[in-house]
Amino acid sequence: MMTSIKKTLLSAAAAAALAISSGAFAASQADFDAAYAAASAELKKAKSMGNAWRDTGKMLKKAEAAAKEGNFGKAIGIARDAKFQAQAAQEQAASQASAGNPGYLY
Amino acid sequence: MKLKKLAIAAVCAFVAGSVYADKKTTETTPAEDVNTYRDYFMKRFPGVPLEEYANGVYAIDKVSRDNWEAVEEFPPYEPMIEDGETMWNTPFANGKTYGSCFNDDPAQRKNYPHWDDARKTVVTLPMAINECRTANGEKPLKYKKGAIANLLAYMAYESRGQKPTAEIPNDDALAAYNKGKQVYFARRGQFNFNCASCHMQSAGQKARADILSPALGHTTGWPVYRSKWGELGTLHRRYGGCMKQMRAAPYKAQGEEFRNLEYFMTHMNKDIEFNGPSARK
Repeated sequence: MMTSIKKTLLSAAAAAALAISSGAFAASQADFDAAYAAASAELKKAKSMGNAWRDTGKMLKKAEAAAKEGNFGKAIGIARDAKFQAQAAQEQAASQASAGNPGYLY
Repeated sequence: MKLKKLAIAAVCAFVAGSVYADKKTTETTPAEDVNTYRDYFMKRFPGVPLEEYANGVYAIDKVSRDNWEAVEEFPPYEPMIEDGETMWNTPFANGKTYGSCFNDDPAQRKNYPHWDDARKTVVTLPMAINECRTANGEKPLKYKKGAIANLLAYMAYESRGQKPTAEIPNDDALAAYNKGKQVYFARRGQFNFNCASCHMQSAGQKARADILSPALGHTTGWPVYRSKWGELGTLHRRYGGCMKQMRAAPYKAQGEEFRNLEYFMTHMNKDIEFNGPSARK
């Protein structure tokens, strides 16, 4: 019983992997555009809070370059990382808005 | 018995919390801040006199100091002081000179940065230099290196021995000071560092092959000939470099954030002589 479940699961996973590699779920320009727009909007917010991270803008440029080469999967991955950075920067800015003397000085 | 232990633990936690808690930007006054920073460094580096902090890391590390003293025998910034002096004496196209904006006295370091109440902003010396240029029909200079650094070197050299004041005359000025303080202590960038992470908390410790310099005295020796740069650079150029090292996007040189930061840091350095230009690793 256990072995047949295992086999079924394995074949399902293999089928999924095949489907992905054959492009059944391949990312498109539209997917990239959406991911890029979302990341850009978050970066804009971080900048308006005076706290963008150093490499987020560069990451968006890299994502654009990958998309131009048709590598949408990679491009979307980078854009999502950039979005994460921009959101983390916003969170950081909000938490530091009233930063003053650290406790260790006393 | 258990209750007693719990109560003691609670009291200890409360006391520890209230003593070591981080302060909010406006929770301490500028005068309290100056005392706090000085006390911290006096305890951290016992025996180092206050005025020595003008020399950065060379105040606290003998080997670095020996090397620096050897460099200072033939100061690498000397030709730039001469270039700056030439700039000071060379008339603009309209026949006037920089002297017309600065009471014919290049020793201006003690007057900057200052709070300009009419304009509600902090005015730094590089900003005043560029305002002098534009008022006389000249193009403004770039703020990080080159000609402005040379002129600043000459003016700083003429100002050696002056002490910073960075007075805080009213509530608007205090707000600018506090903004600068917030910039100093706000953690930022991918590394989640603030200026104090390196220059207060870790001052004297090593970051790879470099010894981190103490925050006290940081604004006194500019412009600086940095061996890493191989040229003279301005304070705001270094501010930008620090932010990049934290993996944060830097603010603009002479933008409001950095001018407020300079105001805060200069106030911290009250009573420590200006000794620019200087040489650093």
